[in-house]
Amino acid sequence: MRWSRFFHRSHWDRERSRELEAHLQIEADENVAKGMSPEEARYAARRKLGNPSLVREEIYHMNSIGSFETLAQDLRYAVRRLRRSPGFALVCVLTLALGIGANTAIFTLVDAVMLRSLPVANPAQLYRLGDNNNCCMMTGTQNDGSFVLYSYPLYQDLRDHTAEFSELAAFQPFLSDLSVRRNGTPGPAEPFNGELVSGNYFAMLGVTAFAGRELTPADDRPGAPPAAVMSYHTWQTHFGADPSVIGSTVTINTMAYTVAGVAPPGFYGETLRSDPTEFWLPLGTEPALNRQDSRLRNPELEWLYLIGRLKPGVAAARAQSHLTIELQQWLWSSGYAQATTEQRNDKALVEEYRQEIARQHIRLTPAGGGVDSMQTKYAASLRLLMTAAGLVLLIACANIANLLLARGTASQLQIAIRLALGGPRRRLMRQMLTESVVLALAGGAVGVYVAYAGTRTILLLAFRGAHYVPISPDPSLQALGFAFLLSLATGIVFGVAPAWIHSRANPGEVLHGAGRSTGDRHSMARNSLVVLQVGLSLVLLAAAGLLTESLRKLQDQQFGFETSGRLMVKVDPALAGYTAARRVGLYQELQQRLGQIPGVLSASLSGYSPMEHQNWNQDVYIEGRRPANDSGQYQNSSLDRVGAHYFETIGTRLLRGRSIGDQTASALHEAVINRTFAMKFFPHEDPIGQHFGIGGPSHSGDYEIVGIVEDAKYTSADEPANPTAFLPLMTPLEAAGIHDIELHVAGKPENFEPEVRRAMAGIDPNLTLLDMVSFGEQVALNFNQERLIARLTELFGLLALVLACVGVYGVTAYSVARRTNEIGIRMALGAGRRTVLGLVLRGALVQVGLGLAIGIPVAVAGGRLLASELYGVKGHEPVIFALAAVLLATCALAAGFLPARRASALDPIAALRQE
Amino acid sequence: MPTRGTLPLQGELLQGTLDMLILQTLVLGPAHGHTIAHVIEHRSDEVLQVEHGSLYPALHRLENRGWIASFWGTSENNRKARYYRLTPAGRRQLADQTSRWEKLSQAVARVLKPVTE
Repeated sequence: MRWSRFFHRSHWDRERSRELEAHLQIEADENVAKGMSPEEARYAARRKLGNPSLVREEIYHMNSIGSFETLAQDLRYAVRRLRRSPGFALVCVLTLALGIGANTAIFTLVDAVMLRSLPVANPAQLYRLGDNNNCCMMTGTQNDGSFVLYSYPLYQDLRDHTAEFSELAAFQPFLSDLSVRRNGTPGPAEPFNGELVSGNYFAMLGVTAFAGRELTPADDRPGAPPAAVMSYHTWQTHFGADPSVIGSTVTINTMAYTVAGVAPPGFYGETLRSDPTEFWLPLGTEPALNRQDSRLRNPELEWLYLIGRLKPGVAAARAQSHLTIELQQWLWSSGYAQATTEQRNDKALVEEYRQEIARQHIRLTPAGGGVDSMQTKYAASLRLLMTAAGLVLLIACANIANLLLARGTASQLQIAIRLALGGPRRRLMRQMLTESVVLALAGGAVGVYVAYAGTRTILLLAFRGAHYVPISPDPSLQALGFAFLLSLATGIVFGVAPAWIHSRANPGEVLHGAGRSTGDRHSMARNSLVVLQVGLSLVLLAAAGLLTESLRKLQDQQFGFETSGRLMVKVDPALAGYTAARRVGLYQELQQRLGQIPGVLSASLSGYSPMEHQNWNQDVYIEGRRPANDSGQYQNSSLDRVGAHYFETIGTRLLRGRSIGDQTASALHEAVINRTFAMKFFPHEDPIGQHFGIGGPSHSGDYEIVGIVEDAKYTSADEPANPTAFLPLMTPLEAAGIHDIELHVAGKPENFEPEVRRAMAGIDPNLTLLDMVSFGEQVALNFNQERLIARLTELFGLLALVLACVGVYGVTAYSVARRTNEIGIRMALGAGRRTVLGLVLRGALVQVGLGLAIGIPVAVAGGRLLASELYGVKGHEPVIFALAAVLLATCALAAGFLPARRASALDPIAALRQE
Repeated sequence: MPTRGTLPLQGELLQGTLDMLILQTLVLGPAHGHTIAHVIEHRSDEVLQVEHGSLYPALHRLENRGWIASFWGTSENNRKARYYRLTPAGRRQLADQTSRWEKLSQAVARVLKPVTE
C-alpha cells in the first residue's frame, strides 16, 4: 500500500465508483444488444457485479491501515450514537465518575501511604536496622531478640564498624515538642516539633538543603555551635519564606541555635506522618537541650532508630549477619565490663547471659519507603476501603450493563438489519465495545475530578486535628494511570456481555417479529444483573452498619471522665527552662490565675491527661507484701501526677474516701487509686489507709491511699482502663513535671482560648502554649481512622443502595414497557389493577429476594472478616443485618412500585393500540 | 495488508491465478475491466468464470503493486471507461508467474498420471 493512497482514499474511492458505474453501463449495453429491455439489462448487470459498495469497501480497505482505520470509525460512530442519547450518556458517565472517582481517591491514598518511596536519592539502597516499630525507650536486651531501638554508644559502635554501609544514621523515633522564638523579634515563643538526628542523617538520605546547608557530622561533635535545619513547609508557613532566617539565631527551649538551612520542598523526614518534622537538630546538642533529662548521656538507654545506606553491590544479607555479630560482641563486652567480679565468677549466670546474647540479632528491612508506621497503621483500613470502593464500581458496572442491554434491545431491529446485510458480527461487537469503552473513559475523566475532591475530604477526615499532612490530594501520575486503566477495564467489563448478547442476535427471528413483544431473550441477563446489584449492596450496607455502630459504641462509651465543658491546655514548663525548684511557684500561680478566668469552674494540672495515649508504668511496692512471684518480680501499674481538684475538674467520680488535698505537707504523701488498681492489688482488703510506693521496696511506705476513683480511659478507647495510681504533683524533694492543665468551664471550651492565652502570657511569656483542645475533641481525635472508614463505607453503602434501586426501577420499567400489550390484553379480559400491580411487582420481588438470599451469606462472611475492626459489635450482629436487608428491600421495592403503579393505571384500549 | 513481491502460488492459488490471467490478458494491449473479464471467459471456453465483484479489487491490487497502470479512455460503444495496461514490472512478473505456474501444473500432472510399474 502506498502512503499517498492512504491520504487520498476518498479520491480513489470516487474513481472506483465511476469505474464500477462504467462497468455496469457497458454490461447493460451488451445485455440490451442481446435483446433485454433497458431495465432488465441494468438489473442483470447489477446482479452479475454484486454489491458495488462492498467492492468499493474492499478496495477502500486495501488503502487503509487496518485496525487503526476501523478504530477511528468505531470511535466516531460511538460518539455519534452517544450524542444522540445524551440522557443515557449522562447517567452512565455520572455513575461511572462516582465509581471510578471513589476508587481513584482511595488509590491516591494507597499510593501515597503504601507505595511511594521517600523523596530521597536511591531509596532502594536504604535499610532500617530492625523489623518492628517498638517505641520509645528501653534498656537491656530487646523482647524477642530483634533489635530496633539502639543506645547512642551502640549506634556509634555499629556506625564505625559496619563497612557495608556508606552511611549509617540515627534518629529519634518520635517528635519532641519544641518552643521556638526567632531572636530579635517580638512576641512569645511558638510551639514546633523537632527531631534529633545524627550529623550524617542528611548525607545518609542523600538530601541536600533547599537553601543554606544541611546538617553535617561536624554539627554533631561535642562543643560544635548548635545548628538546626527547618522544613520547607515550616519556612513557608511560619517564617514567610524569609531568606534572612537562614543564618539567623533562634531560641529553641532556651538554647540558641543557628538556622543552618532549609530542607527541600516535599521532604518530610524518614517517617510519613501528619505534622511531620519541623526542625532537625543534631543529636550532639541533646544533652544541652534536655539537661538533666538527657537520654544521650544515659549510655544504657535504647531510644534511637537506625537507617543505613548500603554500598552499591553489597547484599543486605551480608550486612545483616555482620551487624548481628557486631551487636552480640558489643553486648557481651559492655555487659562484661559492668559485671561485678562475683557475677563474672558465677558460671551458670555467665552461661545464661551468653545464651541470652546469642538470641539477640538485627534484621534489616528495606527502608526506601521510610519507617513504615503509617503503613502499618493504615494497611487494614485501606484494604477495606479499596474493597468497598471496588464493590461500588462493580455495582455501577452492573447498572450500566443493564442500561446497555435495554438500549441494545431497543436497537435490536437495527442490529438485525445490519447483520442481514452482511455486517460481520465481530465488527458489530467491536463497535458496541468501543462505545462502552468511550463511556467508561468519559466517566474516568470526570472521575478524576471526583477523586481530587474525594481525596481532599478523605485527608481531612483521616487527619482531623493535624495542621499539615505531607500527602497531596492532586492525582499523581500513578493515580491518573490507575484511573485510565480502571476505566478501560470497566468499559470492557460492563460492555462485553451486552455486546456479545446483541451481536448473537438471529436476524431472521428479530426481523420476523419486529417490534412485537414476544419473549425477551435478554431478560434473564438483565434480571441476574439486578440480583447481583442487590446482593452486593446488601454486603456494603451491612458493613456500613457494623462500622457505624462500632464507631458509635466507641464514641458514646463511658470514658470515666466528662467530655463536655472540659478544656485541655498542653504546656511543658521544662521547655521554658523551669527547673524543679521553680516549678512549685509556677504551679500555684497557674492553678490560681487560670481558676480566676470568668467561666472557669475549676482548674488542675497533671503529668498527662485522659485519652492522650500517654502512659507512665512502673513497678509498685505495697507495704508489707512479698514479691508477687518467686523470681522476685513485683507487679506494675500505671501512674500519674495530679494537682489539687484534679478529679472534679476532669469529671471522674470519686467512689470512696477523698481526693488528694491541697499541696500541704501532709498531702505530699496522699494517693488516689482507680477501681482496677484496687481490684488488682487489694482484692480482699480495704485499700483505704494502705501504703505503697515506687522506686524500690524501701519506698513502700511513701504514699497512703486516701480515695478510690472510678476507672477512666487514658491510653486506648477499645481496651479496659489500666490499673492506675494518682500521686501528688509535689514530692518531698521537688515538683514533678507536668504536660497538661485541665479546666472545667461553663460554656463552650473553644471560647476560652484567648483568655487562657492572656493569662498564660501574664504568668510567663516564655511558657509556650503547645496546644489547646477540648476533651470532646481530644477523644474524637482517637477515632479518626474508625470515623474515616465508617463515613466512607456509609457513603459507599448509600451509593450502592441508590444504584441498586435504579437497577430495580430500570428493569421493572423496562418490563412494563415491553409488556404494555400483554397488560392491555389482561386488563381487557378483566384483570384488576391489583392483579396487574402484583404481576409487575412480582418480578421486582423475586429479584430483591434472590439478591438478599445471595447477599446475606456473603455479608455474614464479610462481617467475620471485619470482626477485628469492630468494637462492641459482633461481626454477625443480627439486628444490623436485618436492618440493612429491610432498608434495601423497602427502597428497592419502592423503586419497583413506581413503574408497577404506572402499569396498573394503563388504559387497556390505549395499551392494546400501542405497537 | 498485502506485501509487495511475488506471492507463493500454493497458498493463494485462485487469487494468484486471477492476477496472472489479468496480466496475460493485458499483454495483447490496454483493456478495461469489462473486456478483461470477457476475454478471460472466452479464451477459457467459458470454463473460467470471472466474478465481476472480485475483478476490481484484483485490478486495484495489481495497480498498487505497480504491475499495471490505468487511464480513462473511451470504450467501443462510446462509454467512458477506465483502461489498464501492462507496465514493464508487470511484464516481468507475468513471465515469472507463468514459469512458476508451468512448473506447478507439470508437477501436478505428474502426480496425477496413473502409476505404471
